[in-house]
Amino acid sequence: MNPAISPDIAAQLIALFAVLMLVVQLLLVVQRMLLTSIRLFAIQSVFLAGIAAVVAYFHGAFHVYVVVALTLVGKVVFLPWLLDRQVRRMNIIQEIEPLVNFPTSMLICGGLTLLGYLVARPFTSLERLGNNTLAVAITLVLTGFFLMINRRKAITQVLALLTVENGVMLAAVALTTYGMPLVVELGIFFDVLVAVMILGILVYRIRETFASMDVSKLSQLKG
Amino acid sequence: MLAAGTGGAPQTVQLLPALIPYVRFTIRLDPLGLFFTLLVSLVGLALSVYSLGYARGFYGRKNIGVLGAFFNAVLLATTLVFLADNAFFFLIAWEIMALTAYCLVSYEHEKEEARNAGVLYFVMSHIGTGCIMLGFLLLFQASGDYGFDGFHALGDRMAAGPRNAAFLLFLAGFGVKAGIIPLHIWLPVAHPAAPSNVSALMSGVLIKTGIYGLTRVLFDFMGTPPNWWGVTVLTLGTISAVLGVLYALMEHDLKRLLAYHSIENIGIILMGLGAALMFLHSGHPVLASLALIAGMYHTINHAVFKALLFLGAGAVVQATHTRNMEEMGGLVKRMPKTAFFFLVGAVAISALPPLNGFVSEWLTYQSLLQGFGTTSSLIRLMFPLSGAMLALTGALAAACFVKAFGITFLAQPRSAHAEHAEEAAGPMLAGQAVLAAACVFLGLFPTTFLRLLDPVTQQLTGQQLSAQLGLANGLVLAGATATGGTVSTPGLLLMAVCLLPVPLGLWLVLARGTTVRRAPTWDCGLQGLTPRMEYTATGFSKPIRMIFKALFRPRREVQRDYDFSPYFAKNLRFDSHVEEVFQTRIYRPLTWLVWRVARKMRALQAGSLQAYLIYIFVTLILLLLFAL
Repeated sequence: MNPAISPDIAAQLIALFAVLMLVVQLLLVVQRMLLTSIRLFAIQSVFLAGIAAVVAYFHGAFHVYVVVALTLVGKVVFLPWLLDRQVRRMNIIQEIEPLVNFPTSMLICGGLTLLGYLVARPFTSLERLGNNTLAVAITLVLTGFFLMINRRKAITQVLALLTVENGVMLAAVALTTYGMPLVVELGIFFDVLVAVMILGILVYRIRETFASMDVSKLSQLKG
Repeated sequence: MLAAGTGGAPQTVQLLPALIPYVRFTIRLDPLGLFFTLLVSLVGLALSVYSLGYARGFYGRKNIGVLGAFFNAVLLATTLVFLADNAFFFLIAWEIMALTAYCLVSYEHEKEEARNAGVLYFVMSHIGTGCIMLGFLLLFQASGDYGFDGFHALGDRMAAGPRNAAFLLFLAGFGVKAGIIPLHIWLPVAHPAAPSNVSALMSGVLIKTGIYGLTRVLFDFMGTPPNWWGVTVLTLGTISAVLGVLYALMEHDLKRLLAYHSIENIGIILMGLGAALMFLHSGHPVLASLALIAGMYHTINHAVFKALLFLGAGAVVQATHTRNMEEMGGLVKRMPKTAFFFLVGAVAISALPPLNGFVSEWLTYQSLLQGFGTTSSLIRLMFPLSGAMLALTGALAAACFVKAFGITFLAQPRSAHAEHAEEAAGPMLAGQAVLAAACVFLGLFPTTFLRLLDPVTQQLTGQQLSAQLGLANGLVLAGATATGGTVSTPGLLLMAVCLLPVPLGLWLVLARGTTVRRAPTWDCGLQGLTPRMEYTATGFSKPIRMIFKALFRPRREVQRDYDFSPYFAKNLRFDSHVEEVFQTRIYRPLTWLVWRVARKMRALQAGSLQAYLIYIFVTLILLLLFAL
């Protein structure tokens, strides 16, 4: 327990970071440039690391620092670097027209945020670290899902999956006092890492086979 | 093993440790299961010997190891089905049996016929398994356990709704396996397509698992049955018997003919079971036991003679390379031993004394005819009606085997293959000999065998009838009650032997003074008779086809090419079809419907990643909203 920061300030910091994550997520929904999207994801991960750091500092839970370090190394540096390299190698800069245009996307995401808050309402008593965190986490998952549906480029879908994972991590850190057991967090982390690397290879293959990253072309595989 | 089953409480043996709740790999040695195990052992022995010779036909062409492995696997699985003591274990064994049988049906997978037959069998079999699973779930709801012990007489404790639902589910599920009309369509397709030793196994043993299941469920689990259960089973049995034999008469594919006869005999077995259910309802345990014995006896009889006939057919098909009877003929001179064994089987299945088919059908008559007095309601008309239908079935079966034997073995060879046919190999004949001997034994000494059925009826109805059924040291078979008839197969045989000198003597007396002249058959003044002038299988069955025109809806097309007068035709093409009503009226519309729905459902499986994501997403949102 560190007396320098009062619990009130900790809760406010967490709420601030969480809302910032949501803002970045919404920016991601309307972002068309692939490289910018990757950078936005890196920024979102920085905020996640921030929340984890606040939790670790506030509770003096040492193992949460490991989560902070892993998030910084993995999600802020390594994965964006990997995806960045992939995008540059394949020489595509822009996402094509999404299935739903941007204004409508924003409206839908607004609705999903509302849903997130509605769903989270019965659980406010569980929340020890700020009022909105769980709602934001659910919203991140939902909008990440929506992003996955709305985009056609496989790279963007990988990014969307990563934001969903960020939402899950946020819920894990915010809902439980000391975060989840370290083993579980490590497991999730390496899971995502491996998944992204495999997806990266698959994306490359899809592009080689179909001369495109458009996943809607995958239906050609159907007999 | 039978000894183990006769003494006191059934023994249970745990095969594997139980790791999952409710699933216990336990077998139970009780009289009913052991009776069926006897059946699989007897037929399995003969078939295994036969297969040693039969498999030579596949040398160099097919992998015999695969045939042997699946053959033995199916024998094991069937044994486990008969002995399983737990619904899960039963279903696992049941599925292993169904899957290995599928592999055997499709053994000659390079033939399209075998592949299609395999798929049809697979689909029908799994529809049946689905019904059986649901039935067991209903029983589980009432008992709270999947052990067969807990199911005993469970029906009395169940509510009427689930009880009747369970009855219908089990009837449909086991009915598919047994081949009850209208669930029979896989049977005449799968049996001919399989190798003949497998056909014999399927017809002799596999379809009996359906009978076993029905007996186990209806007599062991379901308690005192309502009247309509018995009426339903008896009606289905009667329909299956009559229609089965009628369709068999129309066949000229030897193995398909035998397959249709399996449906007929399953019908006869069900008549026994149905009558037993009705007697149990009206409180006549002795008559119920008699009917049950009739059914069980016919079960083992059918297993023996149908396996024998399939083995004979297999030998014939291997020798002539065709299943079409119209291309056989004259085989009695080339394959005399096979012909003899086939004749034994044909006499047995036609229910002619003194062989075994006669005994069990006589017992069935006895129970049906005595049933008329058991109740005063109009339902009692069912009994004489079914008896009459059974008589019709027996007559038609005899006609059918006159045709099958006559066209296949007698007269002149109708094709070059038939002309050059050779007698079957030693092991094949040995396998047939075992079964033929069993036919004779079961026919001549029924009372000896009935003693083995005492524990079975003791278990299911609490009665032992062998003392009442066997009179005069077991030489005479009686109908169990005062009003029942008596018959003695050894006596009939003795009578035939004693009476034989009478016509012989008459002939000697009358033929004295006449000279024997040998000349060719009168050929209407044509130059020599050819096989093409012989009576055909189609021709033989024509009168019956005409009598039952409404059922068969025969169609024929005659195409005649001529120059100046239709009486001097150059070419004549004759095509004749019999409509299979159940195929065209029930299954074809059903298949069409399934395809239509499936095609509509295909739109869901668009192959688009986005679409799949949307399904998940929408489901998630809906569930969240639902939870609010």
